[in-house]
Amino acid sequence: MIAVAGYVAIFVTLAAAVAIVVQGIRYSRSGDASKLSVPVATLLGGAMASFVFLEIAILSNDFSIAYVANNTSTTTPFIFLLAAAWAALEGSVVLWGALLALFIWLVWRKMGTSDGLGVLALAVMGGIAVFWFGLMATASNPFAVCIEAGASSCSASSWWPLVGTVAPIDGNGPNPLLQNHILMAVHPPLLTAGYVGFTVPFGFAIAALVRRDFGRAWLDRSHRWTLIAWILLTAGIVIGGWWSYEVLGWGGYWAWDPVENAALLPWLTATAFIHSALVQRRRGMLQAWNFILVISTFALTILGTFLTRSGIIGSVHAFSQSAVGPALLILLGVVVVGSLGLFAWRSADIAQKPRLDSLSSREGYILANNLLLTVFAFTVLFGTMYPLIVEAMSGDEVAVGRPFFDRASIPIALLLLLMLGIGTIAPWRVATPKLLWERLRLATVVGLVVGAGVVLLGIDSVAVVLTVVLVVFILTAIVVRYVSVVRSRSESTLTSAAKVLRNEPGYWGGQIAHIGIALMALSIATSGGLATREAVTLASGESAVVGRHCVQYVEPFSRAEPNRAVVGVVVEILDEACSRRLATLEPRVNSYPGSAQPIGTPAVWKGPINDVYIGIAGGDSDRIQLNVFIFPLQWLLWAGGLVVLIGGGLAMLVKPIRRNRASETGQPIEADASDV
Amino acid sequence: MSDRTKNVAFAVVALVALSIIGVGLAQGDTSQPSDAERVDALAARIKCPFCSGESLKESQSTVAAEYRTLIEERVKAGVTDDGIIAEFVANFGDSYILDTSTTVWSFGLWIVPILGLLVGGGVVAWLYRSSRSRSGVAP
Repeated sequence: MIAVAGYVAIFVTLAAAVAIVVQGIRYSRSGDASKLSVPVATLLGGAMASFVFLEIAILSNDFSIAYVANNTSTTTPFIFLLAAAWAALEGSVVLWGALLALFIWLVWRKMGTSDGLGVLALAVMGGIAVFWFGLMATASNPFAVCIEAGASSCSASSWWPLVGTVAPIDGNGPNPLLQNHILMAVHPPLLTAGYVGFTVPFGFAIAALVRRDFGRAWLDRSHRWTLIAWILLTAGIVIGGWWSYEVLGWGGYWAWDPVENAALLPWLTATAFIHSALVQRRRGMLQAWNFILVISTFALTILGTFLTRSGIIGSVHAFSQSAVGPALLILLGVVVVGSLGLFAWRSADIAQKPRLDSLSSREGYILANNLLLTVFAFTVLFGTMYPLIVEAMSGDEVAVGRPFFDRASIPIALLLLLMLGIGTIAPWRVATPKLLWERLRLATVVGLVVGAGVVLLGIDSVAVVLTVVLVVFILTAIVVRYVSVVRSRSESTLTSAAKVLRNEPGYWGGQIAHIGIALMALSIATSGGLATREAVTLASGESAVVGRHCVQYVEPFSRAEPNRAVVGVVVEILDEACSRRLATLEPRVNSYPGSAQPIGTPAVWKGPINDVYIGIAGGDSDRIQLNVFIFPLQWLLWAGGLVVLIGGGLAMLVKPIRRNRASETGQPIEADASDV
Repeated sequence: MSDRTKNVAFAVVALVALSIIGVGLAQGDTSQPSDAERVDALAARIKCPFCSGESLKESQSTVAAEYRTLIEERVKAGVTDDGIIAEFVANFGDSYILDTSTTVWSFGLWIVPILGLLVGGGVVAWLYRSSRSRSGVAP
């Protein structure tokens, strides 16, 4: 019986997590990681087993398990059955646990026999694992069995598996929105992996604080693992935006929903840490700040998880309400109070003497970028929590949404882009105005000339024009810098071009990521600021011109698919003169059994410049109402996201610093092209 | 071309481009939003009454679609943006306006992040000053 097997697996894993904590503390003095091999292997094996057992239960339509009955059905396609393992609350916790076990194993695998910091960090991560598997064993048991069945769902369940079970004939099926697009199978695991990954740097930070093990050791390892988690989180966020764009039909990819904000918050603080860690590494300052950033990033992931799973803030992303909420709130409290208390206790030892020679220097611009990223995170957090704060203070109800977040984030983002452009080419210590001008004059001129060109084309949105100027400025500055570094070498241009990248994957990986960020910023500005939007009503054969494209309604269609009924229309996209056909689209409305609300699914033509995005707004097969959006350069958002990931991946190629290479002061060790 | 001449040339081109941008943007946003764009912008400012945390713009629910149609009718009838927002406030209350602009709470929403920026900037300035003053006495 799979429920028993699953439940046993959870308890075995929980015991292994406890053993990691105990053994980790016990061997943190000697630092012999091999002593933890049994609990770590058991944790990984048990966590994977519980995940696999859940998948087996789902794939075999075992509706005697409440989770399976309530979240899958016999008609759910295979890929969405697989994805159903994390589509609802209990399953998402299983995925979380499996990923955490995987991270713990990966960290342990690289450890030697005298790694006190690492062993203690494992104990901290083990403590977090105790929480998650404890949750599965109690408030969020994915293997709870069904003891009272409705027609197509389970209405009462028991956490104790050895009782008489009943099973509905068929299950409820996943939430329709979650089985409407393939990206939904990818977005949650990536986002979760990013979230979970931040447990590792947190573990190293806490271990360093406990052991007073300051300097490079904790920093380098936290930095590396933060980068890994950051790459996963970035991928999760971008793919989530893409899913939203392809599926939800309102024509956007980001709604400033509280849960979207919850994913953005740790991304912002992790981005700040990735940069400020460089300052500690190169200039031996900001250690205290780096601890704060690592702790905040982890705390924000717990806060985000709490917001999604407690029902405290209404959100489309929210899982069902349950006892998981209070448990997460307690974890959040323990993490925040515990780590900040520890930090305060150690604060006298942590502080490094600031050696900021000039505000105009690499570290100065990184400091500015950190300030902006932190204020950005604070603003998003404050805006998200504001309704709760106001209600607690006065009982008044207010709502905060897109208008606030859009307006607040645009100036911050523009300033960030400016700092990014200057900071990437500025040397450490001091960047004199003369040097900055030499390195940036071409970028400044090209940026402004392209900006002027855009203005002459008739674009008068301030935000769009400023973004274009800054993006072109950044791209040119990076290319100019690369060319000048390549030219300064004696080899042939091609060899030199490759060697520069290979010698400093960290720096140039960062630059590639910056290029990606710039491209995404451009797309966000143009697709938001220059979008065209019309509502058209067409009879069969009629057409309408929207922006520079002609939209023609051809005919309605309908078909029955195994898991849903589809009604839609065939629409042709033609050029402005309505003569040349560019694409045929099929926007549709999907109806799922077990869900009263039909789900509109837009259709998108991705042209070389514009996306033409069409959704059904209403009407009938004789006269159809269509929402037509034209989004300029929308594709750059996804392409830019890919470039960011490539850059992050390249930065990962930096050779890990050998362990135990203690450096108390964090004095500069290596030198790179960015020095000169 | 000497470096000096180059610099002058760069500066001149930059200034010309900058003034084109300045003049162009000074005229303000002249584009007229289409009716549908106005409906979208208004819908984004109003919370969907019976949905979980979505605005009228994003929600797929039938209720939201009905309210979007209502906004569309008002826009077609020539009601101003403020007029339409006022109608929603009158029917549902301030708590459905997503930028809190119709309530006294709007001030706090904006001032706190700005204070955050000022405090953060102050800390950086302090860090810089203390770093300077120490390096002044250091050998």
